[in-house]
Amino acid sequence: MASVSLTNVVKAFGAFKVVHGVDLDIADGEFVVLLGPSGCGKTTTLRMVAGLEDVNGGEIRIAGEVINDRAPKDRKIAMVFQNYALYPHMTVRQNMEFALKPQRLSKAEVDAKIAGVAAMLGLDVLLHRKPAQLSGGQRQRVAMGRAMVRTPEVFLFDEPLSNLDAKLRTQVRMEIAKLHKQLGTTVIYVTHDQVEAMTLADKIVIMKDGHIEQIGSPEEVFARPKNLFVATFIGSPSMNLFRMTAERGDTGTVLSSPAFSLLLPVELGAKLKPGQAVTLGVRPSDVRLAQAGDADAIEARVEVVEYLGVEALVDLRIGTQEFIAQIPASERPALDQAVKVVFNPAGLHLFDSESGQAL
Amino acid sequence: MNRLSTRQATLVYSVTGIILIIFMIPIYLILASSLKPSADMFSRPPTVFFTPTLQHYVDLFTLRPFHWNIINSLIVTLGSTVFSVTIGALGAFALSRIRHPRINDAAFWILSMRMFPPIAVVVPYYIIFKSVGLLDTPLALIIVYSTANIPLTVWLMKGFFDEVPEALEEAAQVDGYGIVEIFYRITLPLAAPGLAVCAVFCFIFSWNEFLFALMLTGSSAQTATVAVMSFWSSDAVQWGRIMAGSFIILIPGVIFVLTCQKWLVKGLTLGSVK
Repeated sequence: MASVSLTNVVKAFGAFKVVHGVDLDIADGEFVVLLGPSGCGKTTTLRMVAGLEDVNGGEIRIAGEVINDRAPKDRKIAMVFQNYALYPHMTVRQNMEFALKPQRLSKAEVDAKIAGVAAMLGLDVLLHRKPAQLSGGQRQRVAMGRAMVRTPEVFLFDEPLSNLDAKLRTQVRMEIAKLHKQLGTTVIYVTHDQVEAMTLADKIVIMKDGHIEQIGSPEEVFARPKNLFVATFIGSPSMNLFRMTAERGDTGTVLSSPAFSLLLPVELGAKLKPGQAVTLGVRPSDVRLAQAGDADAIEARVEVVEYLGVEALVDLRIGTQEFIAQIPASERPALDQAVKVVFNPAGLHLFDSESGQAL
Repeated sequence: MNRLSTRQATLVYSVTGIILIIFMIPIYLILASSLKPSADMFSRPPTVFFTPTLQHYVDLFTLRPFHWNIINSLIVTLGSTVFSVTIGALGAFALSRIRHPRINDAAFWILSMRMFPPIAVVVPYYIIFKSVGLLDTPLALIIVYSTANIPLTVWLMKGFFDEVPEALEEAAQVDGYGIVEIFYRITLPLAAPGLAVCAVFCFIFSWNEFLFALMLTGSSAQTATVAVMSFWSSDAVQWGRIMAGSFIILIPGVIFVLTCQKWLVKGLTLGSVK
C-alpha cells in the first residue's frame, strides 16, 4: 500500500495539451475515482501514473518517491485494462504466472498466490481455460486476478466495467468494493459512469478538458458542487438550472425570471447583490408537489410523466422554462395538468452566471 | 457455415476437380517422364503404360553431384528464409509500433526494394560479389534472396503485428517485462500465423529462384534449379534427367508447405473474421 501524489502534472500530444497541471493527493488505502466525460484526460492521467505515457511536466510520486522516469514495472502498480488485455495464447493460470514471473518467486510461492487469488475471485475452476473460452464477466475477474497476484501497492483500473452488461456491472462493482475493503490497497479508478464513482469512491475527482473541476467525497460533490459543470454532471437526472436575477424584496432577496420568482432563504440571499445575474440549480429530487399552505408555490404544466416504479420523473414547463421533478410514483400527476410545485429550500444551489462557480 | 445442397456440392466438387486436374497434369508429366525409358519419351501417341525405370534418378546422382546441388539449395533457402523472417519480423514490429508522421514513407521505401526487376540488378550484384570474393558461394545467394524476401516479410508481418492489440504489450509492461521479452513472449506468438506465411513465401521464392543462381554461382555453390538445366546442352537435351531432377526439386517445397499448412490457413484467414 502506498500514497500517490500528482503535482502540477502536464501531458501534451504534440502541441495539443490534454492534461493541464493536475494536482491530486491520494492517501494510503484510499479508493479514488477519476470521473469525467470522454476526452477529459482521466485515462491519460491514469496512464501517466502507470508509466504508459510520458509526463511532460510536474511530478508523480508513489510512496513519496518521484516515479516520473521509472518504467511501469518499477512502480509497484498493477493495472486492469478496459478490454482486459488477457494474453490470449495463455491459460488463466499462465496469465497469472506470467505476471508473477518477473518477481522470481519459488514455485510453491507462485502456486500459493495463484490459489489464494483464484479462491477469492472464484477462478479455481477456470484456471486451465484460455481467455477465448471465458465469458465477459469471467475475463474481467481474470484481469483483476492477474493484477491482484502481484500484490501491488497501487491498483489502477481503466474503465473495467464498461464492456459488461448492466446486471453484471452491478455485480462486479460490488465485488470490487468488497475486494478493496478486504485488501485495503490504494486504488485509482477511471470511469465515466457516475454510479460507479458514487458507489465505489472514497474520493471523486471530477475532470473536464484536462482540468480538475472538483475533488471531494461522493456526498460533497453531490450536495455541494463547486461549479455548474459538476452540478450538472453529477446526479441523474441532471440538476435543473434557471437563469435568474437577484432583487431586493420587502422580506428578503428574491430571485426573479420571466417564468417565476422565488424568495431565497436569508443565508443564501445574503450572498447576492441586487441586479446580480445568477443561475439557480435545483436537483429534481428537491422539487416536490405543493401541498395546501405551502408559500411560494410555482405553477407549472405537466409535459411528460415517466413512471419508474418507486418514483416518477415529471417534465414540467413554465413558459419557455423546462425542468424535471422526481417525485413518489403514487403522487404523479396526469399529463397536461397544471400543478403547483415548491423547491426544497435546503436544496437550492446558486452559481454565478458568468463564471459558473458556486456562490 | 450452412451445409451445401447436393447440387451445390456437385458443382463445388466438379470445379475443384477440374482445377486440381489442371494443376496436377504438369506434375504427372514430370513424374511420368522421369520414370519412362528414354525410348518411350517422345513416342506418338504417348505411352500411358510403360515399364518404369529409376535409371534417370540413378544417373542424376552418379553422373552429377546432384545431392550437393540439393544441399546448396537447402543451405541457401533455409539461410535466406531464417534470416529474412528474423530481420523482417523485427523491422515490421518497429514499423507497426513507432508513431511517426513519416513512418509509412519508410514502410513504402522498404517495399520498393522488392520492385526492382531482377535482371536490372544481376550485373551490379555480379560485380560486387566478384570484388568481395563472394561469387559462387551460398552466402551471396542468401544475401540476394534476403534483399527480396525481407521487404515482403516486413510488409506481411506489419499487417499481422497491427492486429495484435497494444494493450497486451502495455499489460506485459506493467507486469514487469521489457520490450524484447514482450516481443518474443507476447507479440510474436500471437503473430505466429504471419511468420508461417512469410516463411512459406520466402522458402518458395528462394527454392525456385533461377536467374541469380545461374549468374552468381559456378560449380561449388550451384543450386538444384541451375543443375537441372545443365542437362540441357547444345548437342543433347536429357529430358529424363531433367524431369527426374525437377521432380526431386518439387518435394522439399511440398513438405515445407504441408508442415506450415496448419498455420498457413489460419494465417491467411486471420483478420477476415472479427
